[in-house]
Amino acid sequence: MSIALKLAQLSRSLLARAGRGGSLPGTIALKADPDFISRFKMPPKVIIVTGTNGKTTTSNLIAESLRKNGLKVINNHRGDNLNVGIATVLAAGSDSNFNIQADAVVLEVDELTVYRQFSALRPTALVVTNFFRDQLDRAGEMETIIRKLMEVTENFEGDLILNGDDPNVLRIADNAKKARVRLFSVGPNEKTRTETDEASEGKFCPRCGNRLIYDYYQYSHIGRFHCDHDDFGQIQPELLVPEIDFAAGTFTAEGHVYHSFVNSVFGVYNCACVLCLLKALGLSMEAADEVFIGYELKEGRNEEFALSKPCVINLIKNPTGANEVMKYILSRPGDKNVCIFLNDNDQDGTDVSWIWDAHFERLNVPEVKRIICSGKRAYDMALRLKYEGLEDRLQVIEDAGEAVRWLDEQNLDSYIMATYTALHSTRALLRKQVKR
Amino acid sequence: MNLKILWMYHDLMDLYGDKGNIQVLKTRCERRGIDCQVDVCTIGDGLDVSGYDLIFMGGGADFEQNLIYQDLLSRREGLQKALDDGAAFLLICGGYQLFGRYYKDQDGKIVEGLGFFDYYTESTDRDHRCIGNIAVQAAMDGEVFQAVGFENHGGQTKNVATPFARVLKGHGNTYDGGYEGFVTDQVLATYMHGSLLPKNPRVADLVLKRALRRRHGQVELEPLDDTLEKKARDTMLTRLGVRVED
Repeated sequence: MSIALKLAQLSRSLLARAGRGGSLPGTIALKADPDFISRFKMPPKVIIVTGTNGKTTTSNLIAESLRKNGLKVINNHRGDNLNVGIATVLAAGSDSNFNIQADAVVLEVDELTVYRQFSALRPTALVVTNFFRDQLDRAGEMETIIRKLMEVTENFEGDLILNGDDPNVLRIADNAKKARVRLFSVGPNEKTRTETDEASEGKFCPRCGNRLIYDYYQYSHIGRFHCDHDDFGQIQPELLVPEIDFAAGTFTAEGHVYHSFVNSVFGVYNCACVLCLLKALGLSMEAADEVFIGYELKEGRNEEFALSKPCVINLIKNPTGANEVMKYILSRPGDKNVCIFLNDNDQDGTDVSWIWDAHFERLNVPEVKRIICSGKRAYDMALRLKYEGLEDRLQVIEDAGEAVRWLDEQNLDSYIMATYTALHSTRALLRKQVKR
Repeated sequence: MNLKILWMYHDLMDLYGDKGNIQVLKTRCERRGIDCQVDVCTIGDGLDVSGYDLIFMGGGADFEQNLIYQDLLSRREGLQKALDDGAAFLLICGGYQLFGRYYKDQDGKIVEGLGFFDYYTESTDRDHRCIGNIAVQAAMDGEVFQAVGFENHGGQTKNVATPFARVLKGHGNTYDGGYEGFVTDQVLATYMHGSLLPKNPRVADLVLKRALRRRHGQVELEPLDDTLEKKARDTMLTRLGVRVED
């Protein structure tokens, strides 16, 4: 009987009784036993999901799809993806002898720390969604993240599910000679472009250093690329989405029509990733469609609040994510106000320079009436917009509560973008404002 | 009046929002009726780099730095000509490093620099990476003022003859080193991202004046409304506990 496990399970049940979650049990257990995570006797399927964007959504879609396939699944569905969160969810799903009481464990793992968790978790499948510029202050540089992941997968013998349309992810396959590599890919569709102003990573062939040639871009640097000097990028996808029908909100894969849970290219990538894994595991892919149809995005992902007029809030944390959120906002009809909460706490990334890499000039359209900047770095945000010629439309309201009240009073559709630590407090303020 | 800016390796050396600097330079020219042309150059395009008033280069990761340095060295003559011809230079992070003698990366590999200046840079271990908000007291062209930015570099730059600033909070050229950047009357080289210029309009205008000097002589720049800029800068200075009234 392990004291660490006992402490974790006891604190977990006390917290649960008090109606609370959090990673405290894992923190306690790891203090008492630094090797805590490696002690669990894992079930036959251990699936790790990592990458920059879409981890929470993809891992939840995977977990639900496995459940639809009749498996008992444990997963960190709220996105607690650091070692303490993982320790907490494993302790909760285990008996008193470290036996995980499930058929499968699906874990979203932070891409900066996954290399440390890898051997302790003993994954049977590793899923990598994408690699974008994100929180470089914490990471140092993106190159370091990729290199570390390549090191730990060098002798990995499980299923490696990779985004074949992201050169930064595809690189991992080159180094993982023992793994069963399965690639997913999305073909050209109506949102595909042959030129881009968004790509900042993955411009060069990781094998020979020559510039990659792009046939098309889906978003950011995701798309179909190849190297003229070697065969990098000439992929044989295990799972290909040849068609997306944005009008119907559906896409095709392997001759079947699937329903996208959100009508966007990156949403389809999340689905393609899930289908690719299911295929690799020999499980039913049709079960996934039921999951896609019924899936509701997690809190703060396109979440709507009934202010005087609808108010939709989205998380932003890096240029690519912010660009995609802005595309969504601008695709919505009619006049609107926009509100941006920019914080720089540890979990947001303490470096806010990324806002200069995101395409905030896109907000410079007549339908965007006013832009409110709030949060700890409200003035940095305001400056960013000022230099896009939005000076006349912007306003700094430092107090978050006041910003939300202001949005409500305008009687106009509104869209909020908030960084991580501003997200939940702003949602709480919105809930309060709705009740009024 | 017009100004010609060259943005070197815009597609590779563009980490940490350094492109914001170009945007600020451009906008501050336009608001004063100065016609501002920004050209870009990248690997293998053979563009003549002399003949510009201002040359800007941002930061990149080790990977990008390795890709460009040979191309950069091949442009040495043109850059020397630009220097001799009185052009202004704004160099951030990787750009800063590559104008010195050499850069030794994480794996111990030496990347030869242009050698225009005597400083050199050596990568340090993870525990001594300089990361975080930084506040400095800067001195440039006879003016002394406070500036803020965000530093994020493993490279430790040593043997800097004329630093740009004294560090009030943060690291600077070396871990806990006390001095930041490098300045001459033509070149400003610094580790400060953020981007640097949006929150430090005074630096932006000094750089513009230097650039205009080449073909237009001493130019007085019309003041602009910098209320937001000042607020953003002061917010950080106050948070770091070093703000003094200017």
